[in-house]
Amino acid sequence: MDLARRFDVTPSAMAPPDEERHPAPAGKRRKSRAGLAFIAPFGALFALVFIVPILYAAYLSLFQDKLVGGTTFVGFANYGKLFRDPQFWDGVGRVVRFTLVQVPIMLFFSMALALALDSMRVHGTRFMRATIFLPYAVPAIVSTLMWGFLLGVKYGLFGSLNRALGTDIDPFAPGTTLISIGLMVTWAFTGFNMLIFYAALKAVPRELYEAAAIDGANEFQVVRAIKLPALRGSLVVTIIFSIIGTFQMFNEPQILPTMVAGSGVTTFYTPNLYAYNLAFTGSQQGYAAALALVMAAITIAVAYAVQIRGLRNASHQ
Amino acid sequence: MRLSRKVRLLSAALVPMFALAACSGGGGGGGGAAGGGDEQVKLTVWSWDGTVERAVSGFQAANPNIKVEVVNAGSSQDEYKALDNAIQAGSGVPDLVMFEYFAVPYFAIPGKLTDLGEFGVEKLKNDYVPAAWGDVTVNGKVYALPSDYGPSAMFYNSATLKKAGVDKAPATWDEYYEAAKKVHALGGDHYIAQDTGDIFFLLSLIWQAGGRPFTVNGNKVHIDFTDEGTTRAVAFWQKMLDEGLVNTKITGWSDDWNRTLNDGTLATQTMGGWLTSTLPERAPKAAGDFRVALMPQWRQGDKVGAENGGSSFGIPAAAGHKDAAFKFLEYFTHGGGLSSRVDAGAFVPNTSVLESEAFQSKANKYFGGQKVGAVLAEASETVGSGWQYPPFFEWARSIYGDIASPFYTTGKVKLAEILEQWKQRCIQYGNEQGFEVD
Repeated sequence: MDLARRFDVTPSAMAPPDEERHPAPAGKRRKSRAGLAFIAPFGALFALVFIVPILYAAYLSLFQDKLVGGTTFVGFANYGKLFRDPQFWDGVGRVVRFTLVQVPIMLFFSMALALALDSMRVHGTRFMRATIFLPYAVPAIVSTLMWGFLLGVKYGLFGSLNRALGTDIDPFAPGTTLISIGLMVTWAFTGFNMLIFYAALKAVPRELYEAAAIDGANEFQVVRAIKLPALRGSLVVTIIFSIIGTFQMFNEPQILPTMVAGSGVTTFYTPNLYAYNLAFTGSQQGYAAALALVMAAITIAVAYAVQIRGLRNASHQ
Repeated sequence: MRLSRKVRLLSAALVPMFALAACSGGGGGGGGAAGGGDEQVKLTVWSWDGTVERAVSGFQAANPNIKVEVVNAGSSQDEYKALDNAIQAGSGVPDLVMFEYFAVPYFAIPGKLTDLGEFGVEKLKNDYVPAAWGDVTVNGKVYALPSDYGPSAMFYNSATLKKAGVDKAPATWDEYYEAAKKVHALGGDHYIAQDTGDIFFLLSLIWQAGGRPFTVNGNKVHIDFTDEGTTRAVAFWQKMLDEGLVNTKITGWSDDWNRTLNDGTLATQTMGGWLTSTLPERAPKAAGDFRVALMPQWRQGDKVGAENGGSSFGIPAAAGHKDAAFKFLEYFTHGGGLSSRVDAGAFVPNTSVLESEAFQSKANKYFGGQKVGAVLAEASETVGSGWQYPPFFEWARSIYGDIASPFYTTGKVKLAEILEQWKQRCIQYGNEQGFEVD
């Protein structure tokens, strides 16, 4: 869930690009060279830290590393093997299922909280905002350890709850571990998404509310007709970030097995974890690189599908 | 599992185990022979064993033309990875590198380690316990020198056993089984041991019972979990699991594990001797209750042990200063620098240390004044020899949990089936990696 942190999301980032408002006249094309010079610093850095590593990974993925015989060129054999690898698809299936359930729930909470804060009917808005956002600032490693203790059945809080109620629920059994991870992720990222929604709501012009008040709209109608449509753009962004984040899930399944027995977390629990284990304990760097690239392609495809669909719907408004 | 093993090794290496009485403080006298010429040599040593540092000053004093720099390049697989990268890149290869025993073949077989035979290392053979020497020998050649050791021993909570009506430590696995029933009868939370798929424990049982499931010969690896010793060990532990005498809910090195060790509900731990230094940190409340004994035996009157952990140092084939590297290697694992490391807490497989009066007679307060060193020395010297690890063991142990955990979580553990699936995965992986595995 780390990628989202690299993006600085502000309402202005969601505004339509300037070019649409001021299309450049065809005659001014000549000047584009000066433009190139301006983007060169960014371009160089982008190539260095983004394009080059990807190309290098693509290059690596064409080789097989063997303990005996060293590294050999194998063409696309790693990709062929990957598509037939049940462990890889097991991991992909898991993050897809996870995304389908966890993301809607988390975004629902985020949106509800943003609307509540924006309603001006709660006291201590600033305090609430900071508090809800706070879990995002807790490193995933720390939060996993913390939740591990909270949900532990032997000595944790959950154990006491079980004893008090006479139940026998284990949050870290193979069937329930994913739900527990969902809880951790939701806890950590609800505040982050709420902030995006809240920023979008703050950008709504006050005149719209005044007009609504003059028309005699009640609070519910204001939410439906003004606030929810205003959130559509940021909803697309939050969905994309969440998909990218969950597809990259790593910290939680990496740490849990050291804390609890029988959590059902395998070395291929998520695609990222699998890639890590392939590269660092199986010394199969080529195969791991192929996996990483395929995962990137899947993530980009899904994110684009969401974006295109989201934007088309938005333009229908 | 990854974290836990690091913890074991680190604690084995770093925490003072037996503050040996007397003995030299400054690393002993120089071994005499000064470095080959006047040329200044700078050695780079990769080690996550903190005691190696202790031998440096003594060595430099005796060899003024050699400068030693000890670097922690990560533990275990982090370090192996860094070494692999350095070898591949052809630069930055250190002169001396620390390896766990099971990692030696991984580097030795592809020719990445120097055969120490050229330094006449054979003559040191009898100064180490036989099994440790076997650990650094691959296909008849010696590629490293043992630097620390993990003879398996049984740590038992004598108070818990007494409460259960077991007055002396179980000496055979049959007695252990009877004791397990008595311990469990104390109440549902009481168990004699825990197991959630600990491959190192299971292998130490097999090792002790005489099973040798891995046979390595050059690039050929043969895996067989059906030999007599393996079958006996597996059948025994299967019985323990089937009868619910083992706690399968608590994983070693977790917080839960600490608590059960503290409150005495886990009665024994059969683990490497390094637990001597870890246990007091993990279970401070059980101070005075724990004792150490040899592993229970398969036959009354036998004295056979097994290994669980330990490491060694070797010289990469691409190292720049092999002569100087060997000189330092010999110094801190065998020669004048050994005692300073032992003072700092290293547990070594050198017979000169294990048989010394100072080591054997030191009473350990945490263990109720027991002379722990004497027990561990005996455990070291009785380790069964001839054990081999496959060169891809690092990978193999990492996926063992994937196979074992579904069995453990459903409560229907079938060890033989787990091992069979493990073997199949190993065969597939090993052959992909260019070995001939069957």
